[in-house]
Amino acid sequence: MNTTAHSGSKRRKKPMSLERKEELQGYLFVLPWIIGFLLFTAGPLLFSFYVSFTNYDFTSQMDFVGLRNYKYMFHGDPLFWVSLKNTLFYVVLMVPLTTFASIALASILNQKIPGIRVFRTIYYLPSVLSGVGVYMLWMELLSPDTGIVNLVLSWFGITGPGWMFDPNWTKPAIVMMKMWSVGGGMLMYLAALQGVPEQLYEAAEIDGAGSLRRFWHITMPLISPVIFFEVITTFISGFQIFQEGYVMSSDPTTPGSPMNSLLFFNLHMYLKAFKVFQMGYASAMAWFLFVVVLFITMINMWVSKYWVHYEGGDGR
Amino acid sequence: MKNAKKSLLVLSTVALSGSLLLTGCGSNGNNAQENQSANQTSNQASNQTGNAAATTTPEVKEKVTLDFWAHWGSTTRRPIIEKIVSDFNASQDHIHVNYSFQPFGEGWTKELAAVAAGNPPDVIIQDIFTVGQRAAKKQATNLSEYINQDPSIKDRFFPQLWDASLYNNEPYALPFNTDTRFLYYSKKAFQEAGLDPNSPPKTWDELLADAQKLDKLNGKRIERLGFYPDDWGLFLDNADGKLMMDKNGPNFNSPAKIDALNWVMSFNERLGKSNVDTFKATFGSKQNDPFVVGKLGMTIQTGTYFAQIKDFMNPDDIGYAPVPEMKAGSGNWTYGGGFVLEIPYGAKHPAESFEFMKYMTDVAAQKYWSQYLFDNVANQAAANDPELSTNNPVSKFATDNMKWTLVSPVPNNAPDYTSVSNPNIESALAGKTDAKTALDKAQSAVQDLMDSNK
Repeated sequence: MNTTAHSGSKRRKKPMSLERKEELQGYLFVLPWIIGFLLFTAGPLLFSFYVSFTNYDFTSQMDFVGLRNYKYMFHGDPLFWVSLKNTLFYVVLMVPLTTFASIALASILNQKIPGIRVFRTIYYLPSVLSGVGVYMLWMELLSPDTGIVNLVLSWFGITGPGWMFDPNWTKPAIVMMKMWSVGGGMLMYLAALQGVPEQLYEAAEIDGAGSLRRFWHITMPLISPVIFFEVITTFISGFQIFQEGYVMSSDPTTPGSPMNSLLFFNLHMYLKAFKVFQMGYASAMAWFLFVVVLFITMINMWVSKYWVHYEGGDGR
Repeated sequence: MKNAKKSLLVLSTVALSGSLLLTGCGSNGNNAQENQSANQTSNQASNQTGNAAATTTPEVKEKVTLDFWAHWGSTTRRPIIEKIVSDFNASQDHIHVNYSFQPFGEGWTKELAAVAAGNPPDVIIQDIFTVGQRAAKKQATNLSEYINQDPSIKDRFFPQLWDASLYNNEPYALPFNTDTRFLYYSKKAFQEAGLDPNSPPKTWDELLADAQKLDKLNGKRIERLGFYPDDWGLFLDNADGKLMMDKNGPNFNSPAKIDALNWVMSFNERLGKSNVDTFKATFGSKQNDPFVVGKLGMTIQTGTYFAQIKDFMNPDDIGYAPVPEMKAGSGNWTYGGGFVLEIPYGAKHPAESFEFMKYMTDVAAQKYWSQYLFDNVANQAAANDPELSTNNPVSKFATDNMKWTLVSPVPNNAPDYTSVSNPNIESALAGKTDAKTALDKAQSAVQDLMDSNK
């Protein structure tokens, strides 16, 4: 048996090199994942792309309608623009504010003082909590009459707004809530800050650089790859905002209320898909959002050339 | 040796990943079985006898097991629905129903997926407004065949509920329960404010006058309101006895409805919108309900609200009356909703399912439901049963109020009409636009939505 195998392999010209074999085995090892990806991610993805050109409603029809869904999106659906505007407003406000807040927090928590670990834990804790529980908590905190936020404001003689009841304040309120849980980003920045070599600061100090200058010329460039990563992921997750509008609406029977101020893109898409069964249209919306996010990420990538600094590389 | 080891490794990898896939596919079936067995344990006693009967007497037609989904899972509702189901199981020996609780809303999404997959439950409790949508989209079974065998069934129900169960004049559902709204007022507060506790307001003018007498304001801060038209839609419906949206389309901007919105807005103008919002934000539910804690002197609520009153207040202190009419003679109109029983499209045993639905909407089951839950039921004979009044003084009143209760399905091409109409009306209520403009806009927005979905 052994000899025949040997003679067989001798006949061919290096039938299966070690590398090839290992390659094959490698593919076999990742096969479950690849099958899972094709079946449960790529498959539905392509299906939704096809569905976006049909009038699919789950149960009764799936006829090809060409670009009708896309036309309706731009010309027929008044809430499409409302939801897009709401989402953009939220993203534009949330991304810079949370980025700034988490860098600031990380810098503060990067001090070498006793008990700093306790503070780090405290500031990280909110990001462990998630979901509806946090929203319920904030709805209590932001209650116009009895909430603690307006109570504290009243100590300074400020009459707080209606928050979740006032369409002008709902999105800022949600951004505020997001800033409370910047712990996740903070942790990334903290790790990056700890990775900045001490001798660079020492050298700069000897050269007479002040602390602001050191931060701007040493810290910022060295943590810029992490900022870049964080900004991109925050952008993407920002566009996916959904639950907040669904749960925190002032009238629970009308998701997105008051006055559609919390009708985010994904919430509108969800309602179209599962409440009205316009799955074809909802799929078209999903693909539009994909293109928007892709476009913004590409701009981000392109702009990054000018501000992201990679230590020891050629800038890539 | 090394080679053999490696090929063994490769082989086992393939086998492992293969088995992974298999378990992935198989888990669905397993879960279903597990669910079933879980359901069976909950109905163990009757089920066991049922199974025994089926196995020992082969000449009897095989016993059919039905899966029944509803969102009633609370400690008050679940025992009642389970009792009705087990009564049905005991009443005959060829159908066994398993009750399966599905959280509100979630069950309907699950039904959608199940219908699309061709494996739906046998009977489901669904929303009455959207029967037509599911009929048109092949999510519900046409019941004509079964109704035609016994056409008298349709006379059981309040006519507006039966109408709401039709699509293209064919039935797709049987109404189960409904609701109606009317005025509850605190006799104590009336006395305190020098009002006659036995003469509740009859018109909107009287409602407003009484409300103002009951108001307790501390500067800008509101401590108690006599009344606040929070449910503005009800007043718009009440004004001319026409729903803002019925099966024929939108009716937002009739002169009476414009007057009605102005009337609702006058509350905000008088009290200050932000003061009202601040006050409303303190409202809770159950024992913290604003009417229960005395923050409101009058409120408009459904019949089941009486359950809360019974739990947290002295029912003798509470009076009730129809919704005041806009002007004398315009009618005490209100709106209603409810739930229906449906057979999801593609269910395996429609005839048996219909038999169960017949039982569920018959007098005994309907009476039992109403008696213990203070709910308005769809069966007229059950609703009018004098025995109900002994336990619940509101029962008779709520049943009589059905004659003022408007129920209509929503057109299929605008099921989400509130998302375009409400923001316009909310903007009027926020003082950003006037009533006529808001209602004209709402009317045309809904009309546009219907046209674009044609």
